[in-house]
Amino acid sequence: MHNAADAQASLEAVLKDEIIRMYEEVADDPTAEFHFFHGRQAAELFGYDPDLLDRAPVGAVNSFAGVGNPHQRADLKPGETVLDLGSGAGLDSIIASWGVGSSGNVIGVDLNPNMCLKAQAHAASTGTTMECHEGRMEDVPLPEASVDVVISNGVINLSFRKRRVVEEMFRVLKPGGRISITDIVSGKQLTQSIVNDPKLWAS
Amino acid sequence: MFSLLEEAGFKRVKSAVVPHFSFRQQSTQDSAEAYGVKAVMMTASKPDGN
Repeated sequence: MHNAADAQASLEAVLKDEIIRMYEEVADDPTAEFHFFHGRQAAELFGYDPDLLDRAPVGAVNSFAGVGNPHQRADLKPGETVLDLGSGAGLDSIIASWGVGSSGNVIGVDLNPNMCLKAQAHAASTGTTMECHEGRMEDVPLPEASVDVVISNGVINLSFRKRRVVEEMFRVLKPGGRISITDIVSGKQLTQSIVNDPKLWAS
Repeated sequence: MFSLLEEAGFKRVKSAVVPHFSFRQQSTQDSAEAYGVKAVMMTASKPDGN
């Protein structure tokens, strides 16, 4: 039992490094080819408003690596506090900040502190602000009942502990709060060879 | 994922397949389809009083 826990912890550590490496690569070299669509091409495919993409910093748009559009059903209102779980280079946070306005608040959480800095710089370049905390989605560094809405785009599938992630979203939401997330799901149990391969899992 | 949300206490859990999602490489797309991999949008609410 102890060995299984140790093995999972070890695999998670390797996975964390792989996730950081892969998504930094997307952010640093948006012209590179990955096996998923990214950048403006992907955002437009998922129905992001082209006008919003025009307003957003090019760096944030080019680094977009989501799998859908959580804004379509987020129904953000002025003054709300939004948590963007896995905020990456910041495109979804920036769009959310426009939705909640200056009386609202957007908080990003990302595994990679460099991505947090990048997201905050992108937000600042548009004249808006966002907090961003380095942290894991399995242990969200926010108090309970502190946000109105959780958005997330293609990151929960990266976790080995999805139940814990869902419990954390529930914990930080205020009563009556809501989630609007897009993610990858699998209809079948993945083979152990996929689970044990950080490169495949991080994809 | 749907059941995880319900088990955590979320209500009004809804999901829909994200249209147009696919992998860039056909071989990856073929493998994904074999495993029933798809992108979904999910919404849910935390009940008042929780």
